[in-house]
Amino acid sequence: MKRDFYTTTAIIIPVYNEGKVIKGVVNNVLKEFKYVICVNDGSRDNSAEEILQTKARLVNHPINMGQGAALQTGIEYARMLPDVDSFVTFDADGQHQISDVKHMLEVLRDKKVNIVLGSRFLGKVENISPLKKQVLKLATAFSNTTSGLKLTDTHNGLRVFDRHTAERMQITMPDMAHASEILTLIKRNKLTYVEAPVTIAYTDYSKAKGQSIFNAVNIVFDLMLKGKK
Amino acid sequence: MLGIQILLIFAAAVLGGYIFGNLHTQKGRAWKRIILILFIVAMVGAILFPNQTTRVAHLVGVGRGADLLLYGLAVAFVFFVFNVYVKFQQQRNQMYALARKVAIAEAEVRYK
Repeated sequence: MKRDFYTTTAIIIPVYNEGKVIKGVVNNVLKEFKYVICVNDGSRDNSAEEILQTKARLVNHPINMGQGAALQTGIEYARMLPDVDSFVTFDADGQHQISDVKHMLEVLRDKKVNIVLGSRFLGKVENISPLKKQVLKLATAFSNTTSGLKLTDTHNGLRVFDRHTAERMQITMPDMAHASEILTLIKRNKLTYVEAPVTIAYTDYSKAKGQSIFNAVNIVFDLMLKGKK
Repeated sequence: MLGIQILLIFAAAVLGGYIFGNLHTQKGRAWKRIILILFIVAMVGAILFPNQTTRVAHLVGVGRGADLLLYGLAVAFVFFVFNVYVKFQQQRNQMYALARKVAIAEAEVRYK
């Protein structure tokens, strides 16, 4: 089997207290991709040890700094790998599919865009609660307004982008607000983008880990305060 | 509307502009200092002539000087809290940048 993308892609996985599942998720990704970069965001469990037992690269935050900060660290590390021309952000809880990543990499290459964004509303959603779905739609409407883009799902952890985009990535929102921040970045740098359908498997594990919908309030407030630096 | 109501709503508006606009510039810092100096002058004035605070209070429609001081304190407190919040965010960002450098340097050694 020809392993397209094997050495040219960096999979960036922010990890926070995922000791139970991270090894399985990482080993699964390593079958298809050489460079898997796990940013352990100050986990209090054995996530770091689990990652060290795999062939993934561990980048270890000395303190907990939030998912956005972990993504930024992973991207900055991956930028230093000379073989890599595509960058993927991938969730640690196993809700994303490798097949979706490969499809998005093909889209990135064939459509010659800077960034491919995963959308669960173009694809299939498994086990989502109706309330969460509504909140996500609201979040999407909000982010589309602030960023000026037209997307069906703005808060999807699965993204594939080229080196041009990676060089411009500068996530300053440490928490979940980074999803909207990335969209603003796309707009500001006039990056070309396209959405691709992805399947999200909401397992009991990922649901228990997922953010509370109340966090939407925090996100809106943080984004409004942005620029106070 | 009473004078004090206008003043307090104005203070709230300035705070709103402060939070959602961009006042953290040199101009913004200069204003903070001007306000600080005015505050010190008012403080000394209130100490030397305590009865005059009531006269000023009457000018803006407040019954007692003590009440006027309380309103002023409330406004000053909110500004103080927000200032601390912004400073705290700045320091956090600096700390995060440092921690990121450490994490990446460590990984570079591990996967050389």
